[in-house]
Amino acid sequence: MSELVITDLHCNVGDKEILRGVNLTVRSGEVHVIMGPNGCGKSTLAHALTGRPGYTVTGGSVTLDGVELLGLAPSERTRAGLFLALQHPMEVPGVRPVDMLVAAGAKRNEVEATMALEAVNVGLRPELLERFVNVDLSGGERKRAEVVQLGVLKPAFAVLDEIDSGLDVDALGAVARRLELATKEWGLGVLAITHFRRLLQELTPDVIHVMSAGRVVAEGGPELAEVLERDGYEPFKESP
Amino acid sequence: MTNFLDTATHWIEGQPDAAERRTMLDEFATTGIPKTTDEVWRYAPLEYFNLDQYVVDAPFLDHSGDALENSIATLGAVVVRTHNGVLQGVEGQLNGVTVETTQHAGSITGYEDDSFVVMNGALTPGTIELTVTPGRDIRETIVILHTVTAGAAFPRLKISIGKSASARVIEIWSGGLDSLVVPVSEYHLDENSSLNLATYQRLDLSAWYVSRTTTTLGRDARMHQSVIGMGAAYDRARNDAVFQGTGAQNELWTTYLGRGTQVHDLRSHQLHNTGRTASRLLSKGAVAEESRSIYTGLIEIERGARRTDARQTNHNLLLSPHAHADTVPNLDIRENDVTCAHASSVGPLDELQRWYLESRGVSRHDAERLMIQGFFNEMLDVLPRDVASVIEADIASQLDGVVVV
Repeated sequence: MSELVITDLHCNVGDKEILRGVNLTVRSGEVHVIMGPNGCGKSTLAHALTGRPGYTVTGGSVTLDGVELLGLAPSERTRAGLFLALQHPMEVPGVRPVDMLVAAGAKRNEVEATMALEAVNVGLRPELLERFVNVDLSGGERKRAEVVQLGVLKPAFAVLDEIDSGLDVDALGAVARRLELATKEWGLGVLAITHFRRLLQELTPDVIHVMSAGRVVAEGGPELAEVLERDGYEPFKESP
Repeated sequence: MTNFLDTATHWIEGQPDAAERRTMLDEFATTGIPKTTDEVWRYAPLEYFNLDQYVVDAPFLDHSGDALENSIATLGAVVVRTHNGVLQGVEGQLNGVTVETTQHAGSITGYEDDSFVVMNGALTPGTIELTVTPGRDIRETIVILHTVTAGAAFPRLKISIGKSASARVIEIWSGGLDSLVVPVSEYHLDENSSLNLATYQRLDLSAWYVSRTTTTLGRDARMHQSVIGMGAAYDRARNDAVFQGTGAQNELWTTYLGRGTQVHDLRSHQLHNTGRTASRLLSKGAVAEESRSIYTGLIEIERGARRTDARQTNHNLLLSPHAHADTVPNLDIRENDVTCAHASSVGPLDELQRWYLESRGVSRHDAERLMIQGFFNEMLDVLPRDVASVIEADIASQLDGVVVV
């Protein structure tokens, strides 16, 4: 059983404080969902966790099984077990996914077969992964490619930043089922950022967190998603 | 120039066309090496060039070929081997492909103002001619392995693709310890023909490599030329194209990696004489340590060459604060109905791309290596996968020693 613990996390983008004390704990096999209005800090949380340039953590702690991640390089955080699937996966021209994954620690003699299998799992044509990383892929294909990487690297925890945006209904179902299976297959802990309940129809959440103005302001079970859909975020709004 | 000219003169006296060669050598001796005040030699490190350290007609040294040469040779349906510009042999055969050599001085018509080409004309052992007969669609790879082992070498190559024919050719330059290598190559593409040509220069880091290629394109001809520079102290690749027929297309992709105090010097002149022609120049390279690069690309569009579409892009990666890149795209347009564009950039590795790789678990060092290698992989993507893999691996082995600061 692994545990990802976020304690009083503060983060600036430029001079502006975006995260104002986030507290969260995710354990192996659990699915946590973060919902909240645009600009409340959801993506900033994802980027702060993974050390994106331009995001300055000004306070707090993030530990994975007791190991402090914030002092580690981005690659070391990932190797410690924290994987980020991006909202807008970047093109890296000239770099092949297989070489990237081998450099990330995947076994060269297994990686291509695993990639092909994972691609099929999420409805992605395997030959698209022969292209350079995310080059000439549609938005939806890039999202599925992120889940393929996750399936190859098998991290302890995955932060999914709007993995559902840009996916068609069938692809969304396939991605959600793959993630749900991963929570059982190797006990993947999921922290999913989303605006839509549709993802949660096949990826069953244990906890839903509502963010507002850089903080988690409410938590609840799956029923909270229904409340949000009915009432919107207004009742949860905090002033920055 | 005494040492060089003495050995050059001595060699010429033994040639059947000595008078013609002597005239050219005299012309070169009068003109001397170029000056950096000439735009096409601007920024070139000619102050470090000492012609007298080279001798002409140095004895050939043994060269058994290394792993890359041996691997590439196995992938060629026809393998042409040259040594110091002299044809050594042709292995394999393809219907419609001939390889011959003529032992004459090289023509310098059209190159009178380029003293290195004049030098080549006087001192080349002869022209190696690779010809594809009209109508032949050659799917297999033709490999040309050039070896230079000593002194000064003046290779000449002519590739002619007949009407409606097509071919794919890989050229590899190896050896070159303490050598001067001055190749002159001409590629003639007849009407509706195509040539996919890749040149990989991996000479010793002590070599001076001063190359010039000219492509002439007939109506609807299509050229894709990839030029990869890894070796030589001074790596100069001037790659020109002359559009003689409407509908012709030329793509020129050049890439390089600078290490130590290397200088990579890429020049191009695309001369659009006729309308509805297209040129695409893409130059991407990286300079590390104290190396530098030079890019000057001239697109010239003659009056009446309507609907010409010409674009050039040059991206330079600076991997060290001591590395340097000069980039000068030029347009000379004498027609209104054309589309032209140029873009250039000089800067470090993309920080967000690197972070993306790191966020997969790739260490910073490996992420940088992958991204630099990626520059080359993009350029090699037009080659057959088996050939590209061999060259990629060779480049990767050389990247291991590159430090990003």
